[in-house]
Amino acid sequence: MWMTRRNLTRVVRMPSIIIPMAIMPLFFVVAFTGSFSGITEVPGFPTRQVINWVAAYALIQGASFAGLGAAGSMATDLDDGFIDRLLLSPIRRSSILVAPLLYTAIRALIPITIVMVASAMSGAAMPGGVLGVTLAYVAGVGGGVVIGAFGLAVVLRMNDIRAMSVVQTLAFVVMFPSIGQVPLVLLSGWMHWVARINPVTNILRMARQGFLGPVTWADTWPGLLALAIGTVVFGAWAGYELERRNP
Amino acid sequence: MTTHPISAHGLERSFGTLVAVDGIDLEVEEGEIFGFLGPNGAGKSTTVRMLVTLLKPTGGTASVAGYDVVEQPNMVRRSIGVALQDAAIDPLMTGNELLKLQAILHGLGSREATRRSGELLERVGLTKAGNRRVGTYSGGMRRRLDLALALIHNPSVLFLDEPTTGLDPTSRLSMWEEVRALNKEGTTVFLTTQYLEEADQLAGRIAIIDGGRIVRQGDPAVLKDEVGDPTLRIEIGDSIMLDTAKAVLTTFGEWRPARDGRLAIGLEGGAKRMADVVRSLDAQGVPVAHIELDTPSLDDVFSDATGRRLEGAMVDDEES
Repeated sequence: MWMTRRNLTRVVRMPSIIIPMAIMPLFFVVAFTGSFSGITEVPGFPTRQVINWVAAYALIQGASFAGLGAAGSMATDLDDGFIDRLLLSPIRRSSILVAPLLYTAIRALIPITIVMVASAMSGAAMPGGVLGVTLAYVAGVGGGVVIGAFGLAVVLRMNDIRAMSVVQTLAFVVMFPSIGQVPLVLLSGWMHWVARINPVTNILRMARQGFLGPVTWADTWPGLLALAIGTVVFGAWAGYELERRNP
Repeated sequence: MTTHPISAHGLERSFGTLVAVDGIDLEVEEGEIFGFLGPNGAGKSTTVRMLVTLLKPTGGTASVAGYDVVEQPNMVRRSIGVALQDAAIDPLMTGNELLKLQAILHGLGSREATRRSGELLERVGLTKAGNRRVGTYSGGMRRRLDLALALIHNPSVLFLDEPTTGLDPTSRLSMWEEVRALNKEGTTVFLTTQYLEEADQLAGRIAIIDGGRIVRQGDPAVLKDEVGDPTLRIEIGDSIMLDTAKAVLTTFGEWRPARDGRLAIGLEGGAKRMADVVRSLDAQGVPVAHIELDTPSLDDVFSDATGRRLEGAMVDDEES
């Protein structure tokens, strides 16, 4: 908890850290809503209001900035040697990774809430009710944590603050070929194939269902599974990299 | 449990084909200040990182506070305080916050952490600055805070990696005083330094590392005595007479490494032969621009062991 508190203290003392996280989700909402407003006319599109579609993508994108923050925080600790202070203490090694992920989860609440409020103000519906809102938050926080765990692993692997550019690029490349912008039925060719197997699609489906209709287990469990697998796999990878660095 | 707070046997560390530490043996006695000297790149920091469990050895064994650094790293971490060369201090946090965080990381309760933080801030003279962000601290203040952080859990063994590098003379003296005081209280101190004077002033015993190997180890006074004759350094006023000067000096002792433009010999018979040297040079018409006679220093000990000057090597490193 103290290490998470340290990260949160850094945010309070250097508010510029959260500016991208606060501004980008709003940008996504405005940009996607404007650019894709005509797409609702396409036969097969599941909603008449584009905000119902883009809100989930915007909140996952925004939450991913929180995940990048965890990786950035670790990269800074590696760069200035603060990681050695942590490694020299007799705490469990897992705490060194859990703390930034917990910090990510807390931080992710900011962009998710911004998107939810902005979407509501733009006329988004929430037929999924409280459960729909909850799952949108779960998807956002979980997505941020998965990106955070992935970022920690890459940063520990590369042992360099420059790893952040790799993390950012890969995180957004993975998000793009999914149902973020258009439904699966409107995608074709390799894009359709990749989006179908991309776990981000499942997470988006879970986050989005409450905006489009009632919540169903069929649209929920694949998203939860993707988040669980992502957290476990990337968390284990980050743990391995930490162990490799400081056996 | 061994009887030595720090011991290493055949300790090795390689990075690929590069052997950074090549089978060193060390035994530090309880309650002593042990100086670990060497030029940059000699293997000092790698050795320290292995002893404090930040780096796994690729060969040999080491124990600290009676615990094996590989098999019982957490027990080692509970027993030691470490102030590394680059004080890893979060500039956005205050001194007080960092001390409390460090205390919690070492298992102290919240109330004890607060009490101990206040006590240590007072000890290192940072009470007034305790609630200021560390980013506003001077280099000396950061070092003092780093020392306080290393002491938060009352460690029995303290590792100080170049604690005064980059400090002004006043801050350096103040740090020396603190190290002496800690040692008087019973803390065993493993002091890595590139300052010969620092080792001379503080350490009861030293080890000199070069090229990953320990080339000398023992009491500084004894090591200096073992070097033997004092070093006579001469600067010739006219370089044309250099060969003549060399021919004269050869008769007074063995050559020792010297900086460019100077000649140095171990003067057999010591200070009483100095007048003879001057007379002989004068008789051959060699103009002497500068002459000095140094009793053996730790630099001479290093030079005797390696054929190079430690101080010169460090100057070169710093300049490059």
